[in-house]
Amino acid sequence: MGRLRQKGKAGAAKAYITRSQATKKLQCSLADFRRLCILKGIFPREPNNKKKANKGSSAPTSFYYAKDIAYLAHEPVLKKLREHKAFAKKLSRALGRGEWSSAKSLEENKPVYKLDHVIKERYPTFIDALRDIDDALCMIFLFASLPSNPRLPPSLIENCSRLAAEWQLYIMHSRSLRKAFLSIKGVYYQAEVMDQTITWLVPYQFTQNIPSDVDVRVMLTFLELYQTLLGFVFFKLYTDAGLVYPPPLDLKKDEGAAGVGAFTLQDASSSTAAAPTKSKKVVEVEGRQISGKDVYQTIKSLASTTPDANGAPDDTTMDSEPTSREAEEEFILQPSKSDPQPAAPLTTLKSLETLPQTVNTSLFAPYTFFLSRETSRPMFEFLVRSFGGRIGWSATSGKGSPFDESDESITHVIIDRPIVESSNETLEERERRSRRKCVQPQWVVDCINAGKILLEDHYAQGKTLPPHLSPFGEYEGAYDPTALALGEKDDMSVDGDSASEDEDEDAVMDEPESAEAAVLKVVAAAATDSDADLRAAELAAEAAGVDPALFEKEVKKSRKKVKSDTNEDAEKDMNKMMMSNKQKKLYEKMKYSQNKRNQERANLEAKREQIQKQARKKTKIARD
Amino acid sequence: MPVQVKNTKKRKQNEEEDALPGPFSKAVDMEMLSDEEGPDGEESDGQEVDEFPEIDAESDEEDSEYEGFEDDEDEEEEDEDDDEESESDSDKEDPLHVFPKAKTVISDITGQPKRVFPEIEPEYDSDSSTEDAPNRVGNIPMHWYDDMPHVGYDMEGKRVLRPARGDELDKFLETVEDPSAWTSAFDKNTQSDKPLTTEELDLIRRLYAGENPDGSYDPYEPMTEWFTGKGKEEVMPLSAAPEPKRRWVPSKWEKKKVMKIVRAIRQGRILPSKPKSTAQPQFYSIWAEPSSSHPPPLPAPKPPLPTNSESYNPPEEYLLSDAEQKQWEETDPEDRDRDFIPQKYSSLRLVPGYDRFIKERFNRQLDLYMAPRVQRVKLNIDPESLIPKLPSPSSLKPFPTYRSLRFQHSTLARCVAISPDGAWVVSGDENGIVSLWELSVGKEIKKWKFEGKVGALEWCPRTDVSFFVVGIEETLHFIIPPYLAPAVHQLTQTLLAPTTLPPALDTSSPIKWTTPSSSTWTDDTPLLSIHLPSGSGLPTQITWHRRGDYMATVSSGNQGGVWIHQLSRRYSQAPFKKVRGKVQLVLFHPMKPHFFVATQQYVRIYNLSEQKLLKTLTPGIKWISSLDVHPSGDHLIVGGYDRKLCWFDLELSDKPYKVLRYHSRAIRSLHFHPTYPLFASSSDDGVIQIFHARVYSDLMTDPLIVPLKVLRGHEITQGLGVLQVRWCSKHPWLASSGADGTVNVWCN
Repeated sequence: MGRLRQKGKAGAAKAYITRSQATKKLQCSLADFRRLCILKGIFPREPNNKKKANKGSSAPTSFYYAKDIAYLAHEPVLKKLREHKAFAKKLSRALGRGEWSSAKSLEENKPVYKLDHVIKERYPTFIDALRDIDDALCMIFLFASLPSNPRLPPSLIENCSRLAAEWQLYIMHSRSLRKAFLSIKGVYYQAEVMDQTITWLVPYQFTQNIPSDVDVRVMLTFLELYQTLLGFVFFKLYTDAGLVYPPPLDLKKDEGAAGVGAFTLQDASSSTAAAPTKSKKVVEVEGRQISGKDVYQTIKSLASTTPDANGAPDDTTMDSEPTSREAEEEFILQPSKSDPQPAAPLTTLKSLETLPQTVNTSLFAPYTFFLSRETSRPMFEFLVRSFGGRIGWSATSGKGSPFDESDESITHVIIDRPIVESSNETLEERERRSRRKCVQPQWVVDCINAGKILLEDHYAQGKTLPPHLSPFGEYEGAYDPTALALGEKDDMSVDGDSASEDEDEDAVMDEPESAEAAVLKVVAAAATDSDADLRAAELAAEAAGVDPALFEKEVKKSRKKVKSDTNEDAEKDMNKMMMSNKQKKLYEKMKYSQNKRNQERANLEAKREQIQKQARKKTKIARD
Repeated sequence: MPVQVKNTKKRKQNEEEDALPGPFSKAVDMEMLSDEEGPDGEESDGQEVDEFPEIDAESDEEDSEYEGFEDDEDEEEEDEDDDEESESDSDKEDPLHVFPKAKTVISDITGQPKRVFPEIEPEYDSDSSTEDAPNRVGNIPMHWYDDMPHVGYDMEGKRVLRPARGDELDKFLETVEDPSAWTSAFDKNTQSDKPLTTEELDLIRRLYAGENPDGSYDPYEPMTEWFTGKGKEEVMPLSAAPEPKRRWVPSKWEKKKVMKIVRAIRQGRILPSKPKSTAQPQFYSIWAEPSSSHPPPLPAPKPPLPTNSESYNPPEEYLLSDAEQKQWEETDPEDRDRDFIPQKYSSLRLVPGYDRFIKERFNRQLDLYMAPRVQRVKLNIDPESLIPKLPSPSSLKPFPTYRSLRFQHSTLARCVAISPDGAWVVSGDENGIVSLWELSVGKEIKKWKFEGKVGALEWCPRTDVSFFVVGIEETLHFIIPPYLAPAVHQLTQTLLAPTTLPPALDTSSPIKWTTPSSSTWTDDTPLLSIHLPSGSGLPTQITWHRRGDYMATVSSGNQGGVWIHQLSRRYSQAPFKKVRGKVQLVLFHPMKPHFFVATQQYVRIYNLSEQKLLKTLTPGIKWISSLDVHPSGDHLIVGGYDRKLCWFDLELSDKPYKVLRYHSRAIRSLHFHPTYPLFASSSDDGVIQIFHARVYSDLMTDPLIVPLKVLRGHEITQGLGVLQVRWCSKHPWLASSGADGTVNVWCN
């Protein structure tokens, strides 16, 4: 006889631990436990049998793996949290006693935990980390746009916006943006970095208010982790791309709301190889290179033994670490008036060569854009520069524009306002207007998603835009809004000529027939089952404007068809009897979801029919 | 003694009180002395001393201590004496204000503020000392006079007689009349009640309240500093020992310790003030060194990507109609299939901020750390592939497909039976009518009317004879149908009513076999009847052994049970003395001498020849309703009121080989076709289901069960559908009787 088995000594009772048991075991508060769980990525589990895991009780409880909790017990962060608890007590006592000096020294020696080891544990390889930065990026971009308040110190916001800018810089530098989608929630971007697809959502530029039912502490804990994670990920990405991390920030530009432009990408090899005293210094102030004379002076001043004694007065605001690069000498722009199309500021030959050429990442390379001031500069700067275009903006949208509105090289103006007839236009302005193409912002995104330059006419200023579709696709067999309108779609591409009027009309004339037939088919198919269904279908057909005689015929046809089908169906139904219970349930489940999808699809199709019919009516009336 | 008293009192006074000029104070002092002998003195001298001797003693001791000090003070300040005396004056000023209040004036001599009391007029009634005390016996125990008529002597030496005192009733009346009676006490000296003074009452109150009895005692008096404060320091050292060196030489060891730290700081081992850690975390190549072998946690699932409906400018069909929007608003946020309402904006500039952005991010984070994650294998299969592939019914013909005949009863047709030659059908209904009709044309040939319901009907399976058994309330009737061949008729008659009856085996049997006399034999009356014992109720089932000699019946009554009747010996016996549970159905095995007995939940198989239990089958049905055995005898089907049908392979297991649940209501009847591989089941949902059931002779192949056809045509009345189905033995035809009174014949 084997040893007697005692209840609760093995199996699920031992493997799982409830949350309150876990906090008791770790001797920490619930808030600390939550923080630990967030940082370590520990989440509750669902035991197969709740009763076995919870001593026979079936009360709703969250369970954790006992081993997860056992690992947590040795967590350095937990130790620090305990230290912090003691510190908080000491500090409050010192403050209560009015012992300011000891309070100050306590505050100076405040226990601070680091999350490096957590990052390493959770993401043993770089790819693991890269795969999981979607949420991190969303949070960083959200917090970069939040207003600061006592709970959100400005330093935090600043750090978030710095990380956001660093990510955008990297994406622009590596040309890895693939898709973008303007949704009602914000802008979705999808990039492909090291074969990992990364999607993130950036809110539109509006002030967000934190709702009262959101626990900011939870968000801040996540943010803490995400900042560290992104720091390490960016470090790796930048160093792999041969860049210096963190990229130096031009404070003056940053104050002028230059956004991404305030950062400069530095080549790591050159900066480490060249000694700062002997290298030439390239200084960028407000987007322009200062003249050679200044550079000479600076070199002179740097040559002297005191490195902080600066020759150029502008340098005072610069980083104390001089930015030095010899190798990038050739990339420095020489602002010359004769050259109408200067190269893009960030596109270097080197970076272009390293790019994989499968996707047309230099889609906008031949074009120069100018942003009208009502469009969002950070968004379009990022989009256009990610695809190799040059972009400028008016001074009201922030500093750092490489050229102004009067620049001759501008080919497109991204404009998002209705056409207003302005009588007092100078000749020069009119001429300029005729040379440039005014497009609405959706054109940029649609071009990116299509992978080619679309015809600008459909997106011209003041025109009704074609629908903006998700580039991420839907589930298989979902309703496809482009299916019927394919003919029209083709016309939009550059290679096709502009669609002629009569062609369009033909399409319109063709469609009603097919549409009506489709309605008829759908409706008649619905009418086969019972009298009630028949009546409903009749009504629907009438609403759709189908000829009643035609309807009758269609119903008869479909009924006949159904009859032949019924035999097979009955056979199938009978075969269902022989399914086991498990299989039957699975089958029902699958059928349910299938039916739901089909219904959704049919609903959308029916709606489109109706919309098209109304549109036709309208055009008819207009024509008459 | 007076001086000492004054000293104690002085401690209780405020320090602010001031000195009085000498001469005046003396005068007051005189007054005081005389005071103490007065009426007040009586209590203070006499009673107080009696009652609080310890207080006095204590004050005495303190006085003795303070005397010396006061001398010192006197030396220092000349006015101190007067001071104290004047203060002693004020000690008589008790909280009850017996004496007039003092005035504070600036003294001419000291220039300090002092208190001056008004002069006391030595009037006649101001002093009680002149009054004669009535009794001068002195301070002696008064009980010495208890036996005497007098209580003492007055001033002249005459006896002071004991005043007359009333009895207890008088005393009580006095206390009632006199309102101050409760504040008076008996004075033994004068042998009379004496009202207590306010001072005495106050004293009593204080004692009662647990306070200090001295009214003038101030428990919160400020501390008098005797040894601390300016000018009161001890000048003389307590010991004459010389001052040790350590008091004035700095510690060597301390210096050593400090120097150790200093050296450490100089060498940089200790940082005096740690440089403040930079707020910016330092990043490095964390993935440069290899990671531990610990497997990484599973990555969290990514949120679904946005679809077309989330676009700022979706195709118009994605916008919700009013009804859809209303429905969206009415559903709970958790149940919505999408968390936003699709919107269409004509240009990007019009798109507002999304107000639920933070909330959605937060919900995602809640999912990340609070939602239990379960890894599920997602089946990416076509649901149709789950349906088992079975041979097509058309390849398994023949089986009944349509209704060829309908025979109508007036009420619920409970039972139906088909003759072994397949030509005749008998059906019985609730009114006791049994009809005989032709299977091929449905023409009714004969009708019998019995008292009470027809519970069961069965043809004898023998082919050389032809008769059937009808089960009526507590009786079984054996009936010979008309239009038989004369030979068959003759044989049947001799079988049922032989001229020489076999010898009765057991006369005590409660079951009687009766045959009417041969003169009364007609086609309308049964040739033979078996009277079951009273209380056995309606026979619900009649089943024949394949040879047609034995017949088993099951009765529904509370005393009912199972009987096996032997026709040749005209003998009935109960095979079981005691059966666990109520027997629902019984069956003879087609080959072996086995007997199936279905109770409510179990099917038991008995060997009749060996008389023992062979097997108990557990179908897992709550209540068994029907049972049939395959002609081969190796397979059994059991139907239940809980809609289940169980197929048992008797060679295989006690558990069902297959459990089917396809009827929507209770299964009523099951029947295997005797020759074709078919079986039918009928149910209360008014449906008959035909199955193809092929049984292979080798043990390795599983029986093939294929549903062939659903026969509809019976109507459901009072919740009952098709009550019995019977196959025609020669053809794949089926007869079914329903609760709607119809008996249908289904043909192929």
